[in-house]
Amino acid sequence: MSDAEAPPLPQPDAHTQAFWDACRERRLEVSACRDCDHLFLPPGPCCPQCWSTSLATRAVSGGGSVYSYVVYRRTYHPGMPAPYVVALVSLDEGPRMISNIVGCEPEAVEVDMPVRLVFETAGEFLLPRFEPISACATSAATGGNAS
Amino acid sequence: MSRRAVIAGVGHSAFGKLPDQSAWALEVEAVSKAVSDAGLAPRDVDGLLTDPGPVQGILEGITPHFLRLGAQLGLNPTYTGSEILGGAGSVAIIERAVLAVEAGQCDVCVCVYGDSALSSTGAYGYGRGDESAFGFFGAVGLHALAAQRHMHTYGTRREQLGEVAVAARAHAARTPHAQKRRELSIDDYMTADPLVEPLCRFDCCLVSDGAAAVVITTEERAADLRIPPVPILGHAQAHSLSTYASAGHFESLPAARSGPVAFGQAGVGPSDVDLALLYDCFTIVVLLQLEDYGFCKKGEGGAFVEQGRIGPGGSFPVNTSGGLLAEAYGGGMLHVIEAVRQLRREAGERQVADAEVALVSGHGLGMNTHTTLVLGR
Repeated sequence: MSDAEAPPLPQPDAHTQAFWDACRERRLEVSACRDCDHLFLPPGPCCPQCWSTSLATRAVSGGGSVYSYVVYRRTYHPGMPAPYVVALVSLDEGPRMISNIVGCEPEAVEVDMPVRLVFETAGEFLLPRFEPISACATSAATGGNAS
Repeated sequence: MSRRAVIAGVGHSAFGKLPDQSAWALEVEAVSKAVSDAGLAPRDVDGLLTDPGPVQGILEGITPHFLRLGAQLGLNPTYTGSEILGGAGSVAIIERAVLAVEAGQCDVCVCVYGDSALSSTGAYGYGRGDESAFGFFGAVGLHALAAQRHMHTYGTRREQLGEVAVAARAHAARTPHAQKRRELSIDDYMTADPLVEPLCRFDCCLVSDGAAAVVITTEERAADLRIPPVPILGHAQAHSLSTYASAGHFESLPAARSGPVAFGQAGVGPSDVDLALLYDCFTIVVLLQLEDYGFCKKGEGGAFVEQGRIGPGGSFPVNTSGGLLAEAYGGGMLHVIEAVRQLRREAGERQVADAEVALVSGHGLGMNTHTTLVLGR
């Protein structure tokens, strides 16, 4: 596979390195403000709610729901062939994140459906993706790489 | 006479695929036409504000855009700059010109949008940082998320998004310089291949080469000019700079905050607006703005646009030159120009009878930026 055909990978920086390191250990961590307890994503230099720079990370359960989703029917990048589902997932702990819904057909995805975290390999990274809770048995039976 | 700002002239280049002309050359053409339209001369211009568009401004990061154009125009202005607010930028530079002119920083300020997006490669399919790893590419993905959520929450149907696309093409069929002059049927829309579901290509704005310019001056300066000026009755900005992963980002646009401010300055309300030139990068954004400006209730944007209401001859015409969906991608500046032409009664067969008040909006980036103008006559 040439570089042009490889899927795009995260580009960790000083603020996001810890997030991707935790993923590599199969933990999804959100940023947590030590002063006001606000939980947020993506990671950055201050709390967007109170501007405190006293920040920690907190592992979350991996449970969430689909706030909204879209189905890419056109291939934008040769490393990411369509169709696939991109979703804005509301984590049970509050923050929302862009991810994918896997382990089911695109047609089975619905707004507000409950989902749970799975990690999938992409190059050197483990990407936090989500699958329908109702489809987990299927995913396990077919050897899906759920954590 | 006050230093109240008015629009004294408008002009634009051709729009479409113009590979033989640089954005720079198109900008010069637009500026010349706008200054000439105002009945002014190059030596009268003492302000220059620019919106370099998505390719020059965001992807290529041409800096400073105003300098390249200003140098070629031989300007030594008392006020200048460029703004990069995505699709809110054109209205934003007009607002900035209003503030500058009313504060006495300059007397004749030219505001110009220009870009060669269609002749550049891979313009809009860009990824958003680490979200590229999830295949989240282009502005279309973001707006498709907004559309899907709206459909789920309010029962909005694809046919209703299609009404926006059909109306845009019908308006463009009456606009000589429009890029897409062939009318679209709702069947064409419903049978189109999906792009990023729930959106298809007809939900997406055009990509264009072209430039457009507007001249802002004072009411006093405009008094002896060629054409009666168009007064700026109200203007406001509101933004939501938090990421779209934040709560509330998809529930309403910042238009819900900028609208009441601009209406308040103008002394009018939504029911006084005769036509709206709404930034329409995607069909869903038109529905959201109809709601957030108060033209209909929250969640009723889909029903509002049914039965041709926003099309030619409809009771609430929107984007009468076809907008970004069918006229051309003019950054929002073409929306301003169309409002001016309607209010000057120069819109030909698409003229809205007795148009007295027009609302113009800009909307940009990750649904982050929003700008509003209320224009009169």
